[in-house]
Amino acid sequence: MVEIAVLLKQVPDTNAKIVVVNGRVDESAIASWVTSPYDEYAFEAALQHTEAAGGSITAITLGPARADKVLKDAAALGVTKLVRIWQDDWQDLDSNQVQSALANAVTAAGADLVYCGKQSADRNQGSTGPGIAEILGAACITEVSESDSAGSYLRPTASGSERVTVSSPAVVTFTKTQNELRRPNVRGIMMAKRAQIEVVGGDVSASQVNFNGHSSPAQKPPGKTYEGSDSVPEVVGLLRDEAKVL
Amino acid sequence: MVYEALDFYDLDSQLTDEEIMVRDMVRGWVDAEVLPKIEKACSEGVFPDEWRVALGEMGVLGAPLEGYGCPGLSYVAYGVICRELERGDSGLRSFASVQGSLAMYPIWDFGSEEQKQKYLPGMASGDLIGCFGLTEPDYGSNPGDMITKAEDKGDHFLLNGAKMWITNGTISDLAVVWAKLDGVIRGFIVETGDEGYSAPEMTGKYSLKASVTSELVFQDCKIPKDRILPGVKGLKGPFSCLNNARFGISWGALGAAQACFSSAKEYSLSRIQFDHPIASYQLVQNKLAWMLREITKGQLLAFELGRKKDNGSWIPEHISLAKMNNVDIALEIAREARDIHGANGILDEYCIMRHMANLESVKTYEGTHDIHNLILGRHITGIQSFTRSL
Repeated sequence: MVEIAVLLKQVPDTNAKIVVVNGRVDESAIASWVTSPYDEYAFEAALQHTEAAGGSITAITLGPARADKVLKDAAALGVTKLVRIWQDDWQDLDSNQVQSALANAVTAAGADLVYCGKQSADRNQGSTGPGIAEILGAACITEVSESDSAGSYLRPTASGSERVTVSSPAVVTFTKTQNELRRPNVRGIMMAKRAQIEVVGGDVSASQVNFNGHSSPAQKPPGKTYEGSDSVPEVVGLLRDEAKVL
Repeated sequence: MVYEALDFYDLDSQLTDEEIMVRDMVRGWVDAEVLPKIEKACSEGVFPDEWRVALGEMGVLGAPLEGYGCPGLSYVAYGVICRELERGDSGLRSFASVQGSLAMYPIWDFGSEEQKQKYLPGMASGDLIGCFGLTEPDYGSNPGDMITKAEDKGDHFLLNGAKMWITNGTISDLAVVWAKLDGVIRGFIVETGDEGYSAPEMTGKYSLKASVTSELVFQDCKIPKDRILPGVKGLKGPFSCLNNARFGISWGALGAAQACFSSAKEYSLSRIQFDHPIASYQLVQNKLAWMLREITKGQLLAFELGRKKDNGSWIPEHISLAKMNNVDIALEIAREARDIHGANGILDEYCIMRHMANLESVKTYEGTHDIHNLILGRHITGIQSFTRSL
């Protein structure tokens, strides 16, 4: 019976407006937080894995109290082991610190496999899965697009795809798969109301990264307007050679 | 276009975690499975069966009922479900309203233990579809004068009469039918296949096209004695059901209004006339501000009514006010939204005309706008004005 730790990161809704105030993202201005989309693919793969082969799932997140939402959403899909990692004096954890804290929780959960997204939708670093594998001494397969309960994983490559199998312990990071995370139902939502979330802290080493500040993306330059049939060849040329959409 | 729900007073922050999860579940389903298919369903005049299956799988049918496989959610959660469904289409919300409030509720409240166990689990899962037969061809606002009658034939009841404007009728497995037995209105459960029962579909509608509307015909319809609802006599039975359905409509209409507002806002920001977005002109801003004002007031009504339903402090007149007001403003908002969309507003590329046409029915069914005014008039004055001797 396999034990899978699924790592779920809470990120701003991908449609949320991000405001930078005094060099830092103003989290209080973010209206909606969601589970990072690649983590949702990993979660669905874990659900299908345990449904087919038996076993259980521990859902783990790292974040302040608002991150309980992603665990309750997981509980609505039947996950009963829910762990949130946080200490109130934590701020601006770097990748090594995040990986260390998550690896400790994975070990405590007794997980054979770790499933997570290939990268988060907010930081996009893509370092969490491989970093945890390094700490745990586990195998690591990244950017998996298809999986099965026999431990076989398909990952796209530049020239096609490759299928690999792996023995545990292993960390698997998922890219977009064919399987969107299933919707909960009311019965699951009612069960989630009673879900118990274990909150754990932990010691993390001093950060090696100094956070200097956030900034908004540069504003796009204004668009160009072309008028009249004489400009058609030029527009076609730009669409083909610059925009590369033709 | 990503749907951004208008919630000017941040009322959804008053929802419980559970209510928010239910909202997100239904909203996500409507976005993914309803909106891409609704125009085709309307043009073909069908209610897609996959929606019945999905509603059952989500577990939202009979939302506020407890036990017998029913969800046991709050009335506010039920309202939120109706709002999210009707953002998709009033026909979809009608399906859920009729199933939950008009067919499941009377069995849950007035049925025998055997009836509850026989029907409710299957209805909650969507495996059994129910409908509600009250309105007759000649008796709409005045159901007390219904003609349909039941006769006690010793070992069975015999039903004769006809019902009209029955949502879900043709696709139903069972109908909760109100008929006079010895001059007293009683509820009966009629099953598809019962001798002398048929439910032909009504066609030619310009409204609620993605909803099945039917006649119910009882011609010496023979049903077993254990199909009578033992727990209620008189108009209290059907009116209890209607109170719950009207409550759902008061929320649902806001979903349609919010969809129209959202479309009008987006359109006005992107439509350029006289070198500027039409949203930059005062006349258009006035329309949008009016929509926001009315939707927000409607939301406050619905939320407060929901809390009253949950704590038991409501009276039927509260529901009349909310149903009447919220459908009325939703219809006017749809009309204003069509105006903002200009000629494009009549196309099925936008949701406007569909919602507008649907809301014409919603304004009339489950107690017409005028009847709700008369209910409130009676409440204010103590004088009923529904009927008089002329």
